[in-house]
Amino acid sequence: MAEQGNGGRSEGPADKAREEFFSEAQELVDGLGRDLLTLDSGVKSGRVDPELINDVFRAVHTLKGLSGIFGATMMTGVSHELEDVLDELRLGRMEVSAPVLDVVFRAVELYGRLLSAERGDGPAPEAEVEALLMALGGLTGRGAGAEASPVAQYELDPGLLGVLTEYEEHRLRSSIQSGLNLFKLRVQFPLATIDTALDDLKAKARPLGEIITYLPTGGGSDADAIELEILMASREKVATVKRELESPNLHIEEVARRHVGPGPNTSAPMRPSVSPTPIPSFEAEPGTALAQLHSHTPGTSIAPPPEGAKDVSLRSVSQTVRVDIRKLDHLMNIVGELAIVRTSLGAMAERLRQRPELREVSQELHRVHRAFDRHLQQMQNGILEVRMVPLAQAFDKLARIVRQLSRELDKPVNLVITGAETELDKLLVEELSDPLMHMIRNAIDHGIETRNERAEVGKPSMGTIALNAFQKGNQVVLEVEDDGRGMAQSLLISSAIRKGILTAEEAREMSPREILSLVFRPGFTTREEVNETSGRGVGMDVVKTNIARLGGIVDLSSEEGIGTKVTITLPITLAIISVLFVEVCGRSYAMPLTSVEEAIAFDSSMVRVVDGRDVMTVRGTTLPICSLAKLFGHPPASFPSHGFVAIASVGNRRLGFVVDRLVGQQDIVIKALGRTLRNVRGFAGATELGDQRVTLVLDVSALVDEVLAAPGDSRVRAHGEGRAS
Amino acid sequence: MRKVLVVEDSSTTRAFVRAILEGDAFMKRLGPCEVSEASSGFEAMRLLPRGPYQLIITDINMGDINGLELIRFVRKSEHHKTTPLLIISTQNTERDVERGLTLGADGYVPKPFSEGELTDACARALGAARES
Amino acid sequence: MSTLSRRAHGASRRASTDGPRAEYLAFKLAGDTYAVRIGSVAEILKPPPITDVPRAGRSIVGVVSVRGRLVTVVDLRRRFGLPESAGDARTRILLVAAGGEELVGLLVDEVLQVYRLAESEIEPATVLGGEQPAHIIGIGRPASVAASAGGRRGPETVLVLLDLRPVIEL
Repeated sequence: MAEQGNGGRSEGPADKAREEFFSEAQELVDGLGRDLLTLDSGVKSGRVDPELINDVFRAVHTLKGLSGIFGATMMTGVSHELEDVLDELRLGRMEVSAPVLDVVFRAVELYGRLLSAERGDGPAPEAEVEALLMALGGLTGRGAGAEASPVAQYELDPGLLGVLTEYEEHRLRSSIQSGLNLFKLRVQFPLATIDTALDDLKAKARPLGEIITYLPTGGGSDADAIELEILMASREKVATVKRELESPNLHIEEVARRHVGPGPNTSAPMRPSVSPTPIPSFEAEPGTALAQLHSHTPGTSIAPPPEGAKDVSLRSVSQTVRVDIRKLDHLMNIVGELAIVRTSLGAMAERLRQRPELREVSQELHRVHRAFDRHLQQMQNGILEVRMVPLAQAFDKLARIVRQLSRELDKPVNLVITGAETELDKLLVEELSDPLMHMIRNAIDHGIETRNERAEVGKPSMGTIALNAFQKGNQVVLEVEDDGRGMAQSLLISSAIRKGILTAEEAREMSPREILSLVFRPGFTTREEVNETSGRGVGMDVVKTNIARLGGIVDLSSEEGIGTKVTITLPITLAIISVLFVEVCGRSYAMPLTSVEEAIAFDSSMVRVVDGRDVMTVRGTTLPICSLAKLFGHPPASFPSHGFVAIASVGNRRLGFVVDRLVGQQDIVIKALGRTLRNVRGFAGATELGDQRVTLVLDVSALVDEVLAAPGDSRVRAHGEGRAS
Repeated sequence: MRKVLVVEDSSTTRAFVRAILEGDAFMKRLGPCEVSEASSGFEAMRLLPRGPYQLIITDINMGDINGLELIRFVRKSEHHKTTPLLIISTQNTERDVERGLTLGADGYVPKPFSEGELTDACARALGAARES
Repeated sequence: MSTLSRRAHGASRRASTDGPRAEYLAFKLAGDTYAVRIGSVAEILKPPPITDVPRAGRSIVGVVSVRGRLVTVVDLRRRFGLPESAGDARTRILLVAAGGEELVGLLVDEVLQVYRLAESEIEPATVLGGEQPAHIIGIGRPASVAASAGGRRGPETVLVLLDLRPVIEL
């Protein structure tokens, strides 16, 4: 038994590996979810991939081991029982059926919560664990008796047989019993590239059959190469296999059968999944045998994996690296800092240019600056690209929820997903998880009608929820659409009136669109009680706020009796910039940090007038300054007695913006102002900081241009601008 | 410095084993270690020529080249014919563990294991090697 | 504008055949009633916090966020040169399309109701005589109770029908 926990002692090995544990465990659980969904459709279509079952087994097996090391006893308990069930499944002693999968699905959901509990993010789901353990216990029936061993009929090297794991042996037996041919492939690969070479081979072999094991022979001509003996089962004949796979470094031969007596073979395996059928004679064509098996098998048959390279790409080891998004954020911040460095470089280059005796150095510095700028841009784009992940990450979880809710509420629902490969910034994808989940819950709970209701109105008994994602220009659009009952205007209005959100009079003057928008109001819900499935009062208003914070837009359309569609539009990459928030006459503005060199304290006594310009002295140099209040015409349009100067630097010019307060630094999502405001100079955009308040982002370089370019008295000119109408 | 090769497809377990081997308790008992990690049988084979290793710790249930095949390969190789070799495995694969021992592993540590248990097993395997 | 409505009241009605009915959303602005085609109004909002945009021109009140979208808000009183007012609980913003994906908000005193006007109930702007601003397309007189959606009856009701495009293009 492993030692539990760590008490109050200093960090032991388990503590050091703890973060890694959470990361790997989460990945395993996510993979489990995906694999189960694939198995589920396999069960429905009658063809289950044995390798997939084995993958699920191994994932649970690993989780068991890990949870044991880190003292997550409930996880270990669940994994132990689950592993037993999965072992029965993979060894063919239990049939893979929908009820069995249901229990496994429950376990996967529970894993998620158990992990959260381990992290301290939530309560331990003790009652559910108890219930699940009982359910799992009920599944492990007494397995079938010992399987016959037809392996002896094949001329297989005992050395090879001796290194097969129990599972691999089972796969071998199973393949033989299915009447498949066995092939031995001998291949040599250079060690350096063996991973990709192997992936290629696997991809080619997939449609032909199943690879049972890889054995390094220790032979081979080359110290840097490795020779492998691969055992493969296939229903194809040797000619086909040779044609598909043979290559200069790959040699194929069929494993010969020792002579067997005529007639059907001895014991039929007691596999519940196959109805009693005499094992077909080995003299017969393998293809026929398989066909016979299939035709006699009512339930699920465990057959060789279905064709299609698609499966391979999903499960082959990919060239990916697991990255903590905080590291990417850190990198982005560094890029931001480098941008400031680049600006300073540019300024330096400019100053040098003024000195004719330093001409050569100045030119070189200019070149360096340009190169730096180029590479920085590339790096920024590169990092942004790394952050791009396919939406599938968020969609997978949703499929599970649909399945779960659909069963809970007894509303059969088909989830149709398109565009899962559409990519979006990882942060956006993660933040979308919750809103999407909420919208799907709504769709199933409130949107899709009960079976009876649907029958009454002539809709197909299975409800449909369509989840679509696609790119539109430099935005990504996500749609959640259901074919449910839609939103009844009358219901929305009456509920809103009841909640006190609206008066009857106001309701009368509202357009249908506005009435639909009522769902976005805080505290709105059309159910009297917020029930379990729809979440505890998480309304569409929270969804809207969250999406807005990400720089996105939410829209809703609905037709009574037909369905509802929620559309989310998001920018592909976040135009995130670091800004300095400042306050002037009670108003907030944001200044992009890339343009701000520094901020220092200000006192009106520091102001001097030189050549009609306001200036102050900073560390011996003269700095032109201007009052943001004056620039924007905020009364009183003058310098405050006390305040701060945000020193902006654009190219080789500097200008100090005098403000009342420095509020703080923050990363924000910047949005463009509309065309209507395009003629307004001085603003780069705006940002929304939750609760609907909009803060304008200054276009620092335009303002600097404006103030410094003006000849003579800049003060009067700035003031006059404010009056234009 | 003792070179140890850890072959295990779970990154967490590798991190855990590394932490044990590089920990104070292990060091006091068996001296300092230089730990190399392999996440698969193939990677182990890539690392073996960079040895020789004085201790190999491997899991059995790995995809593609499983632990048994690795043990057989290691025992057939020039440099690691007699290298102390430990299997880390789970109870579910008793028959596989037997096979591993038959193929030449020196001992096995069932998962989940504690720092003490792994250290003891290593001590036994290394001690036996010294004596042989 | 008051002059205008006085003129409209005084103008005689010309008889014409009853045609298909178009829906107009009526709102109040400085005591007068205006109306625009309902199709051009995307939404009606209670004004959320409006952020002032300095130097943007007098008729721009500021920007607001509507479900994540930045919307520029135009003060119709200022735009039409009407006397200003502080606004009250009845003040609303009409969201209208401004070309492309963009929306613009129009600040009005009060939103009244939707009128369905037959062609016979609409008179072209020329009936008011003289040069009229481009944004006025005509006068609407909902004839009877039947002609107005759920509301007030009245030959007294005179709507100044607006074309929003010139209003938005500043």
